[in-house]
Parts: sequence; structure tokens; C-alpha cells
Amino acid sequence: MTRTYEEFPGVEWVEGAGQFIRVIEERCSGCANCVKVCLADCYEISGKKARIRDLDRCMECASCWYVCPEDAIAFSWPPGGTGFRTDWG
Amino acid sequence: MKEYDVVVIGAGFGGPVAAKKCAEAGFRTLMLERSARVGEKVISGLTIPFYGFLFGPAFIRDGNPPIERPVDGIINYIIKDIEAGDIEIDDSLRIPRPLSPILAFGYNAYCRPFCQWEAEKAVESGVELRTSTTVVELLKEDGRVVGVKTDKGEEIRARLVIDGEGSQGLLAVGAGIREKYPPEVISLADVYDYEMAKEDVDEVFGYTLRFCWGWDEQRIAPPLGHGNGLMVWPYRESVHFCQDQCLAMDDGKVPNLRKLFEEYHRNLTSGLPWWREEIAPRARLRARVFENFEIFVGLNERLRAMPNHADGIILIGDAAGLESTELCDGVPAAWFSADIAADVAIEALRAGDVSASFLSRYDQRVRAHPIIQWSITAPHRYNLRFAQEHHSLEELRRYVHDGWGLGGFAFMSSALVKMILQAIREDPMIITSWLRMFPRYYYNWLYERYDYSGGRGEPARDHSREPRVAQAVLRAGFKLMDSALALGAPLVKAAAGLLEPVARFANPAMKVLLPGIEALMRGWKKVEPALAPLSDRMIDFVGRADPAVFAAPRKGGG
Repeated sequence: MTRTYEEFPGVEWVEGAGQFIRVIEERCSGCANCVKVCLADCYEISGKKARIRDLDRCMECASCWYVCPEDAIAFSWPPGGTGFRTDWG
Repeated sequence: MKEYDVVVIGAGFGGPVAAKKCAEAGFRTLMLERSARVGEKVISGLTIPFYGFLFGPAFIRDGNPPIERPVDGIINYIIKDIEAGDIEIDDSLRIPRPLSPILAFGYNAYCRPFCQWEAEKAVESGVELRTSTTVVELLKEDGRVVGVKTDKGEEIRARLVIDGEGSQGLLAVGAGIREKYPPEVISLADVYDYEMAKEDVDEVFGYTLRFCWGWDEQRIAPPLGHGNGLMVWPYRESVHFCQDQCLAMDDGKVPNLRKLFEEYHRNLTSGLPWWREEIAPRARLRARVFENFEIFVGLNERLRAMPNHADGIILIGDAAGLESTELCDGVPAAWFSADIAADVAIEALRAGDVSASFLSRYDQRVRAHPIIQWSITAPHRYNLRFAQEHHSLEELRRYVHDGWGLGGFAFMSSALVKMILQAIREDPMIITSWLRMFPRYYYNWLYERYDYSGGRGEPARDHSREPRVAQAVLRAGFKLMDSALALGAPLVKAAAGLLEPVARFANPAMKVLLPGIEALMRGWKKVEPALAPLSDRMIDFVGRADPAVFAAPRKGGG
């Protein structure tokens, strides 16, 4: 199934991506860097830890993975053919 | 378990180039792409500068790739006070009429159709392409890469892997080939795609890119040097607005990009009179996409020294950190490095030696490539940080002019001249290939329309008014040049070889000559309106000519 979102016109998300980003809780220091850089609003801080709020609008840029000082974000690409797609890049 | 000679990871700009060359050399080649349709996950690209086409893969130069508008230069807006509309303009880097826009500074393109076109050429050459397939792991035996594992659990063996997975380099980092780049060198690009009628794009932009530079306190663009100002690209019937900023500042602090990007975009689109009055009433937001890229890797010695190959594997393009720090463009480096990687792969497979020691030829050739080295190590973008720190308008003017104005030729001419001479030394006939390329691409822009739903329209052309005499003269001229170059090849090669050491003086010479050239350009701009009829005649000629006149004489065009 394909999803779209008003704040990101021109982009479709194909379901089936699964949990391709994971926060390793014991490593997370709650610095919120991931929250600050994610343009898709995928993260939230809860109980002084980063948690995945919603991966539905993730464009797989991996900025969260780059900025995590504790290497607490395990990032992998969604399975082939799923995740975001656009014709306008 | 399936076995291939070469497995190429990623069908972005570089992957198909490497795959095509390996397949043409007779090696069984597989290209794996994680998206369902090639190119739908690539969101940068934008302007590809002329040198990518001139010195890049032959099938692109001699072919007919999808472009959305030729580019004749850059207009830099230095915004001193956005409220008061106090804006300084540096438009020195523009190809003058009547040469523009046929002789282009670069070409704007959407990534999806471009990558798809490249992948089609690779497939036509015998590459096996598998989409909707993510490589999750590199297979290793005794420390050597021997293949890949896909998300479906399939293990595919390869004598050599060429990794064009993109800037994150998850596979290369995961396999311990290189380290993860720090966030200070990675820039996140936030791109808005606006639909706009072609007549409006023609009127507002013509063929020129617009870059805007401002101070941090104006809240209209990222701090200088930690990203771009604002870049606006005209396409055929649309406009791209791009803002980008590094993921961390020099002190390691991570800015709130979500908040800042919204603020920059709002302030600029509502504050800049040019946007508010000329663009906003005619533009409709069609898409917003974001992706990051490794903008400052080349300037950091430690990062630049990270391995770009290991036993059984070569990294290309963004995966090897070869983004252009100078122009924020990774496509030429992806093409050049993919071309080099394929050459080395072919040599290694023929020699039966894919050890890191043999593949170090790749690293040597990348380091000896004048354009790659100039584009990833040129410091002007970084210099903007000093302009920001000193809050010096004079520095800002100078660095913008030296990076994105005519002053850039005082820093890039040596690399360009060296590349021109090397290419001529290899094949003197390339001169006519270059000459044919520009009008062919312009013709393509006039007539080829790309349907983004996946199909492609046929060019609609009126043959009744072909300028037959002028075409015949041009065709004969090209043939004459080809014959003369073929006959004089040894002499031309020798002359290019002798001149190569002279290339190093091109930058100093341009430093001396630029003030004079700039004065001439200013004078020329006054003459330009008088030359408009000549420009129109040239455009009319290209538009009505039989495209075969500009076709590359050799096999392999698209």
C-alpha cells in the first residue's frame, strides 16, 4: 500500500519497510540530536531516551545515524522497493 | 549460489557507468538497486557542470541524456539587508550571448530519468539489473570481499564488488572498510520542487542559476560555510529551491534543523522581493524532499585518507566521499570514479588479482584526476566560514566571486586545461565529439520531453524548414575536422603531451588575466543586446537542423 503526506507533497511511501531504524536504549544518552535533525519528525524523547515515534515519513537520509554521539541508532535500508519514492529529486 | 564477475551496488549516477564498462569488456555483471524504479530514491543532482559531460563516460558525452534546461551561469545575490531590499549582485560567471545557451556551463536534470537513462544503456550493454533488491551485507572470506547478501537472504558471489551505495556507506562502514564520517562534514539538503509555466521560468530565470548568500542573523540561510546560502535552479517547467546545512557545527553542536529550515524558507520566500513578487505568484509547490551528502570530506586530511578500496571491493562516488566540496555536485566525481573503477576492475579481473594491493591503482588514479581533486579539495566554501566569523562583507564578496563567480577560473583552470590535454592526448578525435555535444544537447532540450510517469514522448519536429545548406556546410566542416584530426593524430597527441606541463601555469595566468577578462565581459554585456538576432539565428538553426548533424560519429551513442 502507498501512503502520502500533506507536508511532503510529491513523495510516496510504500509500506513493508519494517523497523529499519532502531534505538539501542542502553546506549542512548537522551541528547535529542536525532530529534533536532529529523525533518520527518520520526523521533521523540520519552523517559530521557530517544524513541522512534513514527517511521512513516522517513526519507532514509540517515542524519540521525550521523549525529548520534553514542552510536545508539542502528540504521539499515528498508527492504528493496519499500520506503520512500519520488520523481522530483 | 549465483556467481558473477562483477556485482555493482546501486544504480545511481555512478553504478551504471561502472557496470556498463565491465559488461562491455565481457564480464558477467550484475547491478543491484534497492528502489523499485531506478532513480526514485536519488534526490540531489540538480546542475551537472559541463566538465562532467566533457570528461566523463563516452556514452553520456556522445549520447542524448535527459536534461531539463541548459545553464549559462550563476547569478550570486549577496543579501546585505533583506528588509530594505539591499542586495549586491555578482553575475560575472555567465557565458555571454550569442554563445549562450547553446554553449552551456552545465545542465539541469531530474535524477530519476537521468539515472534511468544510464541504467538502460548499461542493460543494453549486457548488464543484468535487479531492482527492489537491497544489499544488506558484504560477504567476506579470509578478510576479502567475495560477494553480497541481499534482503531476501540470497548470497551472490562476485570476483569483484563495485560499491556505489551512496554517501552513508552503510556496507563499507559495516564491513570495516572505512569509518563513518563525522556529522560536521555532512550537509542535509532540503529541496522544494515548484511547478511553474515554461514561459514564466524563461522570463524570470532564463538559463541562469540563482544563489543567495546572507548573514546568520538574517535567518534566511544557514551560517555561511556550514551549508549553502540558498540555491535556485530553473528546469523546463519547474524550479528547485535548495537549502542545506551541515548536521553539526565546528564545536560539535547539532543545530535544530527542523526548526531552522522552516524559518529560512519562510523568511526568504516572504522577505526576498525577487521571490515574493516574481516567483511566488507563478509557482506551485509540487514536492519537498531531503537527503544528505558529504560536503566537507575532501577538505579533511584524515577523512580524505580513508580507504576507497579493499580486497575484492572498490568504492565509487559518494560512497568514497567524492562529493564536490566546491560546487556541491557529486555527479561528475561519481562518473569519473566509476569510469576509473571499471578500468581497474577490468585490469584486475584479467590479471586474476583483486587484492587491495592491485586495486590501489584505483586510488592512485583518483588522486591523479585533476578535476576530482580540485572539486573535492577546493576551499572556497570552507572560506565562507571565515567570512561569517569575521562578518566581513569584503571577504564574503571575494569568496563568493572566487568560488561561484568568474574568479573561480583562477583556481580551476589548471585542472581544466590538464584534463583537456590529457583527453586529447588519449584521443584527438574527442575535439569534434565535444563540439557536437553542445548543439545536440540543446536540440534535445528543445524537443525531447520527459514524461515523469515513466514514458517518454517522441520529439515533434517540423522537417519542412530545415536549413539544408547551412547543415551541409556544418556537416562537411565536422568531417573535415575529423579527417584532419585523424591524419594529424600523432602530431596532435605529441603537442598535447608537450603542453601538459604548461597546464600548471593556467591558474596563475588566469589570476593575472582575470581583471582584463572581467572588463571585457562587462563591455561585452553592453554589446549583447545588439547580438540578440545572431543568438536567435543560432538557436533557430539548431532547432530546425537534422539532429544527425550533431550525432557522434562513433558507435556507443544513445
